[in-house]
Amino acid sequence: MTSIGIDAPRVDGPAKVTGQATYTADIVLPGMLHAKVLRSTLPHARLVRIDVSAAERELGVITLTRDDLAGIDPYYGAVLKDQPVVAIDRVLFAGDVVAVVAAESRDIAEEALDLIEVEYEALPSVGDPFAAQAPGAPILHAERNTPEVQFLDMKSVHFQADSNVCSIYHVAQGDFEAGYAAADHKFDDVYTVPTIQHGHMEPHASTAYWEPGGKLVVHTATQNPSVIRTQLAEMFSLPESMVRVIVPYLGGGYGAKTYPKLEPIVAVLSRKAKRPVSLVLTREEVFMTAVRHAASVRIRTGINNDGQIVARKVEATYDTGAYADIGPRTCKNGGYASGGPYRIEHQDLTSYCVYTNRPPSGAFRGFGVPQVCWPYESQMDDMARRLGVDPVALRRQNLIHEGDTFVTGDKLIAIGLDKCLEEVASAIGWKGIESTRPMPSDKPGFVRGIGIAVMIKSTMTPSNSAASVRLNSDGSATLLTSSVEMGQGPHTALAQIVAETIGLPLNRVTITFPDTDFTPYDQSTSSSRTIFSMGHAAQKAGLQIRDQLLEIAAKQLEASPGDLQIEEGIIAVKGSPDRSLTIPQAFRAHFGTPVGSLFGAFDFQTTGGLRPEDGKGKASAFWFLSAAGAEVEVDTRTGKIRVIKAVTVVDTGKTINPRQCWLQNEGSMLTALGSALQEEMVFDNGQPVNSSFLDYLMPSMEDYPDEFQSMLVETPHPEGPFGAKGMGEAALGPVAPAIGNAVSNALGGIRLRDLPLRPERVLDAIDAAAASGAAASGAAASGAAGAGNGGEAAR
Amino acid sequence: MTKAEVRATINGRERELRVDPWRTLLEMLRDDMELTGTKLGCEAGECGACTVLMDGKPVVSCMSLAADADGRTIETIEGISTAEHLHPLQDEFLKLSAFQCGYCAPGMIMSSKALLEHNPHPTEREIREAIAGNLCRCTAYVGIVKAIQNVAAEGVS
Repeated sequence: MTSIGIDAPRVDGPAKVTGQATYTADIVLPGMLHAKVLRSTLPHARLVRIDVSAAERELGVITLTRDDLAGIDPYYGAVLKDQPVVAIDRVLFAGDVVAVVAAESRDIAEEALDLIEVEYEALPSVGDPFAAQAPGAPILHAERNTPEVQFLDMKSVHFQADSNVCSIYHVAQGDFEAGYAAADHKFDDVYTVPTIQHGHMEPHASTAYWEPGGKLVVHTATQNPSVIRTQLAEMFSLPESMVRVIVPYLGGGYGAKTYPKLEPIVAVLSRKAKRPVSLVLTREEVFMTAVRHAASVRIRTGINNDGQIVARKVEATYDTGAYADIGPRTCKNGGYASGGPYRIEHQDLTSYCVYTNRPPSGAFRGFGVPQVCWPYESQMDDMARRLGVDPVALRRQNLIHEGDTFVTGDKLIAIGLDKCLEEVASAIGWKGIESTRPMPSDKPGFVRGIGIAVMIKSTMTPSNSAASVRLNSDGSATLLTSSVEMGQGPHTALAQIVAETIGLPLNRVTITFPDTDFTPYDQSTSSSRTIFSMGHAAQKAGLQIRDQLLEIAAKQLEASPGDLQIEEGIIAVKGSPDRSLTIPQAFRAHFGTPVGSLFGAFDFQTTGGLRPEDGKGKASAFWFLSAAGAEVEVDTRTGKIRVIKAVTVVDTGKTINPRQCWLQNEGSMLTALGSALQEEMVFDNGQPVNSSFLDYLMPSMEDYPDEFQSMLVETPHPEGPFGAKGMGEAALGPVAPAIGNAVSNALGGIRLRDLPLRPERVLDAIDAAAASGAAASGAAASGAAGAGNGGEAAR
Repeated sequence: MTKAEVRATINGRERELRVDPWRTLLEMLRDDMELTGTKLGCEAGECGACTVLMDGKPVVSCMSLAADADGRTIETIEGISTAEHLHPLQDEFLKLSAFQCGYCAPGMIMSSKALLEHNPHPTEREIREAIAGNLCRCTAYVGIVKAIQNVAAEGVS
């Protein structure tokens, strides 16, 4: 193979390092107006009165309020259409969209917001999923629209009526109660993770206009052009062919740009304004538009003296915020992954997706799994400590393997998790049980420790990706695809796949940007599914072209197609390089002159889905497997943790472009490090208080570990192009628990259960352990008011 | 409202503009001059995506007034390369894939250029301190630091 497994340079590189790459906010259309959003100042209120007349009169702006929604379906949403374009009768979080203005400039639009009068009647609000489920809590979505089963996998999710519980997912095997009762040791703990934000550098941005013929055109920073088209078509009762969604480069997404965000707003407002309308969010607004689910996870595990885990029950409660967005799927996928990548006979796994008066939570790199990996991998080390065994050996003993049946009923294939575990243990310098003891530091007051963790995660299943490849008479090829280039590198990697498949030089393959007028359907650029799904479709489409070329050349060269090869754009008889054709020569042979095109097209649908009655079936077309290791230094006087070394290992199936895969691992690692040590959105009476990069600290250049390794192992998947699986978010999940385990080992077994591991939490944990005199025996400390915490339940 | 006169050398060319006194340098570059390589990230000087050089010093253009550019020399990402030759930092960013989504890259490169002009042979620690005001969420910065080190080692900036 000449184009696969190589560090092909990024095709978007020259544009990106020279500032020539176009992002949505760079697009200026003739007559374009600039929009600004008036947002709710209260977390929950009835919208009594809204008056835009002064703004319209004094500044001549175009406004959008609940009075402008006639003739359209004002609700949208990936799973449940529960989110209105602008607030209709109530606002559901501080930051909810109340009104929008469009003006000749951003300054005028901003000024106009001050002239809008809004009268609210404050309502009681719920700030977390447990308050939301308390008796007497206000119900946020009493009249919920019926779920649209556009996505087949949502059939297994149980939507709740007249409750703030939006949806529940449950799956089980064996008999947890019996297995737990009979286990030699029982562990019952509660772990929490807070709300965090994606931190994509490009704020959300969308621009829309209406063509005279009634077609809606939207330029937008989205990860889902095809879904946006469908949702807008439904909103305006238009054929999908009358909605055109165009996506330039995205300045990062990480899930924050999945499903409708600003597109409904600019579509409705530009319809009223009869001019193009552009909306670019401020950073503060970005923090109100998409966040990662906070979660509280109770995990009960029974394990025997011989190290066999026999029973596990997980109840994972996710804060999905004010609107469902893709939360029901996030929680479902987190739910069945919450038992971890282990063979456990008795399992009972439930996830709850709960509405609160908080910004909507949706997709975030890792998609529901980091919230449950943190508990199960932390508890794993506590169990090893209690049994007095090496936690790596304990994982090895219980790990899932090729051919096993997962709790969902999936027959597991392409499972290289054992390799990930061994590689990570070796890279972090794991030396068996002695590695669970504190390591001395040369600095007084400091202790060091190392830790490891592993993870399993699914991908969106079933799902569709279609690709169309066109070969031009000069031997250049174009891949028409709706996959979004948001930094993860599909333009480069898909070009590698097409070049290799047809037998073209890499630089002869061009990838289009998504434009739903021309590029075929793709369900989503998310779930790390592009290489597997779009790559598979592109490969099949490329093979069709290759077959056509071989047939044309076979006639010309008087050979059978099977005796031919195509390399670097030359079709030749194997072993007889002098009997060959260039692609222009093949076109001349076929069309008479070197004109025309050859086409290939393929729609790849992964099969699967889970049954409503038991949550089982086939959860995932392939599985993400990864491991992480960390070495930390803890300042026992200040509680500050420094990660000295971090290692991640991901099973790629087949690595298409090693450098780009390493980058994906490294980025996942640093985002996870931020979530482990410092990132948390803070709310005060429902108001977000740290919605800026000054107050919400993402890792900077000073924060990455001095020693850093990312490694790839390959367990080929039969459906993946050249064996490749997805890998882009795989490294994220295990990093936080690896750091937590390293901290626990550094502190002689003190366990922190609440992220982030802020210095004051570390100090509190050290103090609590000292007070109970139990540090050395593996006692726990936790800052959360959670039932059940305290290490071994039967103690 | 009286407009402010701005006479500045922007990417090597003398320019005269009339701008609102409250207009930011970022708005002037992006909206008035179509130099959209300079990116808006936070409008608060916290992310570095809008970094440009003013008289050779890095400034966050979202927090600088356009009027303050009067009489100054401004360099943006568009001004450091020619059609034939990339700046060595751009070359090295390309070689090492020191970017992914690319949104931070222009500001990152401009900050790096200012660093190397001020300190041609920075240590790794100095690089990490100097560029810490430029955020990147895709990569883990490793390639960026390495790219700056490579350019420094070659002694060109």
